[in-house]
Amino acid sequence: MKVAVLIKQVPDTTARISIAGGSVDEGSISKWTISPYDEYALEAALKLQSESGAKVVAITLGPQRSSKSLIDAAAVGADELIHVLYEGTSGSLSLQGALAAAVRKSEADIVLAGKQAADTNSGSTAPGVAQMLGLPCVGLVSEVKAVDGNFVATRSTSSGMERVSVNGPCVFAFDKGDEELRRPNVRGIMMAKKKPIESLSPADLGVSMEDGGVNVESVGYPPEKPAGQTFQGAASASEVVTKLREEANVI
Amino acid sequence: MGYEALDFYDVDSLLTDEERMIRDVVRDWVDESVIPKIENACREGVFLDEWRQELGGMGILGAPLKGYGCPGLSYTAYGVICRELERGDSGIRSFASVQGSLAMYPIWDFGSEEQKEKYLPGMASGELIGCFGLTEPDYGSNPGDMVTKAEEDDDHYILNGAKMWITNGTIADLAVVWAKLDGVIRGFIVEKGDEGFSAPEMKGKHSLKASVTSELVFQDCKIPKDRILPGVKGLRGPFSCLNNARYGISWGAVGAAQSCFDSARSYAMSRIQFDHPIAAYQLVQNKLAWMLREITKAQLLAYHLGVKKDSGEWVPEHISLAKMNNVDIALEIARVARDIHGANGILDEYPVMRHMANLESVKTYEGTHDIHNLILGRHITGIQAFTREA
Amino acid sequence: MSVTIVSEPHEEGMHPTLPQLVRAASVIGESCTVIIPGGNGADEASKIQGVGKVIKLNGACFSVFDSSTWSTAISGLVDGTVLMATTPVGRELSASIAAGLGRSVVQDVTSIAPGIKVERPAYSGKAVESISVSGDAVITIRPNAIESAESGGSADVSTVDSGEDLRIAVLEAIAKAGERLDVSEADIIISGGRGLGDRSNFEKLESVADSLGAAVGASRAVVDEWGLPHSMQVGQTGKTVTPSLYIAVGISGAIQHLAGMRSSRYILAINKDPEAPIFGVADYGIVAQWEDALPILHEAIKSLP
Repeated sequence: MKVAVLIKQVPDTTARISIAGGSVDEGSISKWTISPYDEYALEAALKLQSESGAKVVAITLGPQRSSKSLIDAAAVGADELIHVLYEGTSGSLSLQGALAAAVRKSEADIVLAGKQAADTNSGSTAPGVAQMLGLPCVGLVSEVKAVDGNFVATRSTSSGMERVSVNGPCVFAFDKGDEELRRPNVRGIMMAKKKPIESLSPADLGVSMEDGGVNVESVGYPPEKPAGQTFQGAASASEVVTKLREEANVI
Repeated sequence: MGYEALDFYDVDSLLTDEERMIRDVVRDWVDESVIPKIENACREGVFLDEWRQELGGMGILGAPLKGYGCPGLSYTAYGVICRELERGDSGIRSFASVQGSLAMYPIWDFGSEEQKEKYLPGMASGELIGCFGLTEPDYGSNPGDMVTKAEEDDDHYILNGAKMWITNGTIADLAVVWAKLDGVIRGFIVEKGDEGFSAPEMKGKHSLKASVTSELVFQDCKIPKDRILPGVKGLRGPFSCLNNARYGISWGAVGAAQSCFDSARSYAMSRIQFDHPIAAYQLVQNKLAWMLREITKAQLLAYHLGVKKDSGEWVPEHISLAKMNNVDIALEIARVARDIHGANGILDEYPVMRHMANLESVKTYEGTHDIHNLILGRHITGIQAFTREA
Repeated sequence: MSVTIVSEPHEEGMHPTLPQLVRAASVIGESCTVIIPGGNGADEASKIQGVGKVIKLNGACFSVFDSSTWSTAISGLVDGTVLMATTPVGRELSASIAAGLGRSVVQDVTSIAPGIKVERPAYSGKAVESISVSGDAVITIRPNAIESAESGGSADVSTVDSGEDLRIAVLEAIAKAGERLDVSEADIIISGGRGLGDRSNFEKLESVADSLGAAVGASRAVVDEWGLPHSMQVGQTGKTVTPSLYIAVGISGAIQHLAGMRSSRYILAINKDPEAPIFGVADYGIVAQWEDALPILHEAIKSLP
């Protein structure tokens, strides 16, 4: 069995985001990491590796800097590394197309990914790639096991959790799992250095990176919050709840 | 607000990719496993056993040693590890320094093949803890006059004497002990449980509270003949260990100073007095700018010393300079940081007072500040000034 | 321009976000078609102003959420731009529909204008992207970001049957564990401090937290004094948190506490002392006894649509 893990390199969630000239100033980002939900997907893949003898192939799409995320994946045990090298930005369609093509090339049986990336916060990649590969998709997964040729996953629903079964290849999109993430050790880091990265351009994969009709025109800071408002007396609490819904849009 | 390591000159860009990856692994570990637990460990005066296991699990113990299950990293990587550990606490770094440089190193360099195979893999993985016995109650800066002695007795050696200020002593599975055999300093491996050997813990420290400090007591302690380190005689043995440990300290002190700077900067930005953050006042800015200046210089010293260690082009005086300078400025930075924190600075909500108290020990151990000055004085003049004799 | 809304199945009839999606559709198109997988709440939907047509999409497959199967069933009925709500189901299904139709998808839009121009938050709210969409796209809209359309329509309701087979089988449902969210991962946190007076009053915060899906936090003072778990502690030596909403109840706002929560997107403080430093960082401050304000707050939260 071969498990593909889709990982994305993103600014560390604690990093400050500076914006200059209508786009995020990448040079000011102090630390890049594997997107947190992707780390849970990677951990689940490594568990399939140790429990079911699966081979783990880590796949990323992004500029040159993102190869670091593949080396990080190798340091904790990923067996093969594929980098779809693409410096530009694009709509979801072509990104998913390139990732789906890379998965096909890797000959993986199942695909694990994070439920959404920490930069775009979109959550489109796993279901989109599944559709392009003609596979079912199970989202909000916290665990996957291989059981008698089927895959059994635990996913969260609006009312709780459920265990679901899929017969055959599938894409699983990971929420935070219960597993503690493994930490790379020095031996893993030294071995990762020696692991080759297969670097492919979208053209190598036969995909075009047309934007699919979606164009990010500019990135800006969120609007300034209104100045603090103070209310006297307990009765004002209901008015504040209305403001939390309508002004702040947080509940 | 995560920890942001001050690196004004981007000195870490000089590291290799692997060195930076190791830095990140250790830094994350300190964030997750040291920072949330260190204050409680200090209050209770314990070194958490999980730290031993996790340090071993990361594979960073005995960092620059090669073979026998050791990591085989560069001295620069070892320095980076020390820096990140000491950003958490000097006690954690002390554990790693003693294990790697003072206990593993002499076995690796001066031990027999059998000794290396017996001890080093378990020490690298953290299963076995080592300690180092050189200093005695009455012989600190002057170890050459030590009184602990070893005597041959049939197929054994008998050790008598006492060592003091021994990091890891009580929790150690083995001790590398320096004692005089026929008047010559030799190294011996003493194991926990050996007849006549005990290691009572020293209590009541105001410094390095999360580190175990002990006495080693030998009362007709009987050890087999194959426990002597065959490869070295005289003070060169312990001093070569100390060179490596002192090198690590020169990096470690930078980590403690970076932690103090990070806390002071963030406190100064958020503490409002007279309607403005105190960071807006010139006296505070002057302190922060001075801290930045000294940390940047200390980083460059440590990094270049690492390059020299890795190329082999170093002399012990190079290490004396870096250890002395970097601990000295780190201690002063901790004091100034405490000052910036005002009364809040004495609370364990902030790391500054803990670092300050720790660094008082670090200034004294592994060659006191003054002794390192005298080493440099001798280097400059050719005249030793340690003793009153010519 | 044609717009198709896919309205998420909802147990109690129409999904509450549908009127908001209809309003969004009216911004970019004339009238819209609403597809309701499973068909629940179709009559209600037909009465929203601006709805041209309602399609009840029936099929056995709608008993279990299976995005690839559902999107196959839905895609053939889609005409023009597709709108959905940004819910867990909406995110997954919209992406699946988009990929199946060979389109891009834009998720979690908070404003929409003709053109089509949309805005969406990125980097966990630290930035906003302005996006132009040409041609037919798939867009999900953040719940409660856009006003609802009025009622008063009378659209036709038709029924379509789907014979798609599920590819995911549910083996068992697992009841929601009683475990509380951790403060470091919660989007809403309600924290208590010494002003609560007694440890037992944390139960009242927990009850509000349950209504909000929030985590419960605490100041260091009460963690130390009342023996609460350290994992609840927010502040300098506890967790540093950045939720969308931080509710501080009976917390005065010592500098060590502020260090751990001042980067929250919105802060609501309830404190009886108008001079409490917590009001210095609060977006909404209620000066009142918490015993009086909290029940009113809780009731208002529970009665939100």
